[in-house]
Amino acid sequence: MSKEQRTKKWTLITLIPTVIIIFPLYFIAIGGFQSVAEIFHSPPYWFPPNPSLKFYKDALITLFPYLKNSLIIALGNLALTLLVALPSAFALAKFRLKLGKPVSFILSFTQMLPVTAIVIPLFLIFNKIKLVNTYSSAIIGISVFTIPFATIVLRAYIQEIPIGLIEAAFIDGASVFRVFQSIIVPLSIPAIATTGMLTFITAWGDFAVSLSFLNDQAMQPMGIGIYRFVSQYGVEWNKLMAGSMIYALPPLIIALVAGKAIVSGLTAGAFKE
Amino acid sequence: MKNSDSHKLYFFLIPLLVYELIFGIYPLIYNLILSFKNVNLVTYIAGTSPWVGFSNYVQILKDTVFQKTFFNTLIFTVLSLSFQFIIGVFLAVLFNHSFPLKGLFQSLIMVPWVLPIIVSGSFFRWFFGDRGMLNGFLLSWGFIDKPIPWLTSQILPIFSVTIANIWLGIPFNFVLLYTGLRAIPVELFESADIDGANWWQKIRFITLPLLKQIIITTFTLGCIFTVKVFDLVWIITKGGPGDVSHLFSTLSYNLAFEKFQFGRASSILVIMVGLVMCLTILLNSRKTKEESKIE
Repeated sequence: MSKEQRTKKWTLITLIPTVIIIFPLYFIAIGGFQSVAEIFHSPPYWFPPNPSLKFYKDALITLFPYLKNSLIIALGNLALTLLVALPSAFALAKFRLKLGKPVSFILSFTQMLPVTAIVIPLFLIFNKIKLVNTYSSAIIGISVFTIPFATIVLRAYIQEIPIGLIEAAFIDGASVFRVFQSIIVPLSIPAIATTGMLTFITAWGDFAVSLSFLNDQAMQPMGIGIYRFVSQYGVEWNKLMAGSMIYALPPLIIALVAGKAIVSGLTAGAFKE
Repeated sequence: MKNSDSHKLYFFLIPLLVYELIFGIYPLIYNLILSFKNVNLVTYIAGTSPWVGFSNYVQILKDTVFQKTFFNTLIFTVLSLSFQFIIGVFLAVLFNHSFPLKGLFQSLIMVPWVLPIIVSGSFFRWFFGDRGMLNGFLLSWGFIDKPIPWLTSQILPIFSVTIANIWLGIPFNFVLLYTGLRAIPVELFESADIDGANWWQKIRFITLPLLKQIIITTFTLGCIFTVKVFDLVWIITKGGPGDVSHLFSTLSYNLAFEKFQFGRASSILVIMVGLVMCLTILLNSRKTKEESKIE
């Protein structure tokens, strides 16, 4: 067997588990083109027998108001997360601080916390200060987890910036602020992009925080909009699947365009401490 | 760096510290206090929750639903970790070659991680439903005569949500193990080939020892991620029917937001947070050990 044939054989071998893994996604996608009766047909259809775009259209119209809320929450969370995480990642990556060790521990600990352990007490607190049912409550709740995660990932990347560059700038009389602004930020653009994508995917897909803090339908993001669909009796599964597919598109596109960056970002978050 | 500058460095850290102390650590302390009080809807609104000592903990430990939940969490964690790990190793070994379309396939394997949880959760709710996809296939293939109640019986729901969670954890296990495998120099395997080692000897004497640290990290992180799973189970079964498929997180959420027993919910959360804290300390101490070895 030639080398080329052998590598093609690996493509076929790896295709099988890959297809099995994305099979839920496939059935959600085709579910949106079928009638409810077709979705529950036994045996299930592998291809929509009478594909119709109607349910995608309906779902888009129903979910449109939630889309705006999802964007506000995900982008608000992204801005807040990067604003807090970037400076601290710089300080932790490049200097030996007395507080370095405890801060590192707080970071990995808060990142690992069960979402319910934060959401339940935070709800009781927010309720008292009338913060429930505001975009800020959701943004703050999600950031409790995304800020430490982003700091850890960014720190891993900033550590790779040659220390010589920074020392040279100090010798020339630059202040830390100057170094941060003119060396760290420009050199971290790819890392900021990767971290930003991971943060966006997390906030976009949030369920628990929005479910707890946003009772007002007018504030709810798409995830909760779809959940209202699912928990009704007589679920319109085709509309639900079409809506799910629309909601899943932004993270899916990011994964397809920047799969490599996501993999490296996740590893950086897990290993580098 | 000038001396005055090193103080300025703390300006960079203050936003992070203030934020995590107020919104990350303070809720935990508040929660710890609640767990020693009788907090329900009436006492919460009136602000007069009385201290009750360890009574919430005692009642929780005596509660049969909690005991059931404990075993559920155990089953869920052990099965999820084992299968995610096996599948992760399998995929990592398969992908440790170069072949056309590898980049695309890698991105597709990340799909369970990037999909919003409500999307995967609803899928599994339909998949395991009485008239859902799984029963649809089994019935039409003649394996069963009537639908299996995957989500509505007493025993099956916890296993159904475990299967869903295994699928959800594949990307993470794959990424960690794959990265670890890539770091092993190919020359080691080549020289083992020259020495006539078989595939098992190569796994036993090269792969496993060199991957040991990563395997431990994967398991510890996996343990933390699995013990705290909430949304997936809440979306698929809500812990039901009749409280049979609760995990710690869904039970505490149910107590807090559906039964308004905040004190009891807090005591479960305290137990969970304690568990996560121990695991994080374990993880960090291993990392520090590794680092000092390298230095």
